[in-house]
Amino acid sequence: MIVVVGLSHRTAPLDVRERLAAAPDALPIVLARLAGRGELVEVMFLSTCNRVEVIARVGGEDRLDGGLAAIREELARHGGVASGADLAPYLYEKKGDEAVRHVFRVAASLDSMVLGEPQILGQVKDAYDAAVAAGTLRGTLGRCVSRAFALAKRVRTETDIGAGSVSISSVAVDLARRIFVDLDERAVLLVGAGEMAEAAARSLGKGARTLHICNRSFDRAAALAADMQASAVPWEALEAELAHADVVVASTASPRPVVTREMVRRAMKARKGRSLLFVDIALPRNVEPEVHAMGNVYVYNVDDLEQEVARGLKTRHAEVDAAEVIVAEELAQFLVWTRGLEVQPTVVAMRTKVRAVLVSELERTLASRLKHLGEGDRAALMQMLESGVNKLMHAPTTRLKGRASDGNDAGDLAAAVRYLFDLEEAAAAQKAARAEGEKVRDEDELLPN
Amino acid sequence: MTLELANILFAATAAVYLAASVLFVAELGGALLGAARWAPRLVAIGVPLHAAHIVVWSLFLHVCPVEGIHFALSVASMFACFVYAVARLRFRVDVVGAFVAPQALALLLASRFVGPVDDEPRLRSAILPFHVVSSLLGIALFTLAFAAAVAYLLQENRLKHKDLASIQRLPPVDALDRAEHRFLVAGFPLLTIGILTGTIWAREIEAGSLPGIARAVLSYASWALIGGVLFLRASAGWRGRRAAVGTILGFGLAMLVLAFYLVRSLMGGAHA
Repeated sequence: MIVVVGLSHRTAPLDVRERLAAAPDALPIVLARLAGRGELVEVMFLSTCNRVEVIARVGGEDRLDGGLAAIREELARHGGVASGADLAPYLYEKKGDEAVRHVFRVAASLDSMVLGEPQILGQVKDAYDAAVAAGTLRGTLGRCVSRAFALAKRVRTETDIGAGSVSISSVAVDLARRIFVDLDERAVLLVGAGEMAEAAARSLGKGARTLHICNRSFDRAAALAADMQASAVPWEALEAELAHADVVVASTASPRPVVTREMVRRAMKARKGRSLLFVDIALPRNVEPEVHAMGNVYVYNVDDLEQEVARGLKTRHAEVDAAEVIVAEELAQFLVWTRGLEVQPTVVAMRTKVRAVLVSELERTLASRLKHLGEGDRAALMQMLESGVNKLMHAPTTRLKGRASDGNDAGDLAAAVRYLFDLEEAAAAQKAARAEGEKVRDEDELLPN
Repeated sequence: MTLELANILFAATAAVYLAASVLFVAELGGALLGAARWAPRLVAIGVPLHAAHIVVWSLFLHVCPVEGIHFALSVASMFACFVYAVARLRFRVDVVGAFVAPQALALLLASRFVGPVDDEPRLRSAILPFHVVSSLLGIALFTLAFAAAVAYLLQENRLKHKDLASIQRLPPVDALDRAEHRFLVAGFPLLTIGILTGTIWAREIEAGSLPGIARAVLSYASWALIGGVLFLRASAGWRGRRAAVGTILGFGLAMLVLAFYLVRSLMGGAHA
């Protein structure tokens, strides 16, 4: 049974999440500790800035409580918390179908702080790779996570869950991309050193040709410039900077505009009409609104950008229902597969036993009363036996598998078959063999799509 | 056999251009079609089909492909599609195809169904091939510049009106402005040759006729306008809206010149 124990931005404050987070180089140790707990057959550790989760498979329902307790203990140990009970207020636990659904929703970014954000899929893949590398993912859980990857791709392709921009920074970047051919060749100027402008400048300035910071306090500009690998320029150079910058992010606390129409007119002359974008996220505004009317100059203020953020969020939320339908479809398919796996050992054991009994009887008879038969006749009898086994086993096999595939609990039926055919030991051996087979197959096949 | 082959090529070219046009229009209209990304590729696929059709059709008619204004315009539109298919890889201005594809389709149809194919020995001249070829290539490039200019004005208008929901459907304004400029730069020398050779040719055959003078004035005006756009861009930073409007006006004048030829051709006169 698959289980999830963890905490996220919905259940735990940042300081608690920070304590439990695991850096990539710490993952092998954490995974080894978890895998060392006998109750857990498979395990994966997902650590992002918004969630820390242990996704595991316990070896049967009888080990469920023990498995959950083991995960809580290991999480507490990893976070340096006295006991699992101290973490309990922040933890959520999911079991069985609900756990699989949770994994699917997380990968599809339906449980993310920013709905539809794409980073989570990469983070789940990293966690998967780490678990595969550590040898702690080798069966049903591995299949579950790889299905989650395919599901996440389906959700992104078939819905608009990732459409639109949902932050001021990303809207500003999208806007700049509709003005300039290549942001990498652009010069970015940060006017003022407010926090929002800094965030926007970090996005716009990522890979930019130059990033200059112009602030009334040069020291503050220099400090921020050192932090952002930028250059500080004196306040007096603002107009000269306008002639060189392509994107200007303004966020000073000035009560009056610091960029006037006249300044921009002179700058545009100097820059021979090259396009200029102002992202004015200051209140009151730093750039005179009339500047937007000038040719090849675009001024977007915080209201313009926030309207787009709201639109992006609305678009994404409107897609949640469609995405949940896909999750439900994939979950149903996965459950059919896992339930088919549950009855498989019983089917194999039943078939093996019936065949073994008949072969034994046939061989005894061939050795005594029918010992005069030639090779051809013996082969014909064996073929008849095989055909009889197939026909005899067809109905119980298809009915058991069908019951599981229909989503019903086939456990009672499988138990009845095992009781009637006295298969308990044989089925257990089959199950163990299957688990070993999965281990080998997973290493070869169960890679992310 | 030649006619059958020409018909097959014609139908295939028309189908490809039509499909591209529909996809472009649907995409511009806001339909989120995954197939829309095929539209520029369809234009590229149409180019060799179109070229083959021109060759086979001209063989069937026993005329040079650039003789007769309708046929010549079809050649020009094919060349515009070819330049578009190559240039879009560099300039990332796929949307220009939204004008190029329907225009190529229209001129392809016109080359088959509208007007006679002219062949007046009276108009033959040694300078004529230079005039026709340079004019056709110039028109093809100005067509692309015009389409880029229109797309620029559309996108700039959206940016000025802060219509952020729509701006994603068109390329960056700088990309459109740059493409428009490059097409103009490439087309202007060809236009210059076309006008010079056209002037000499016209003096040889029809010096002094009123339509001839009007056509010459329009040609010079379009040359001066486009030359002015290029000059002001280099000297005074005329970019964006002003350059786009100048390009559209220059293209419009060039189209008026073509209209003169078309009208005269339809009225029984001729141009080669």
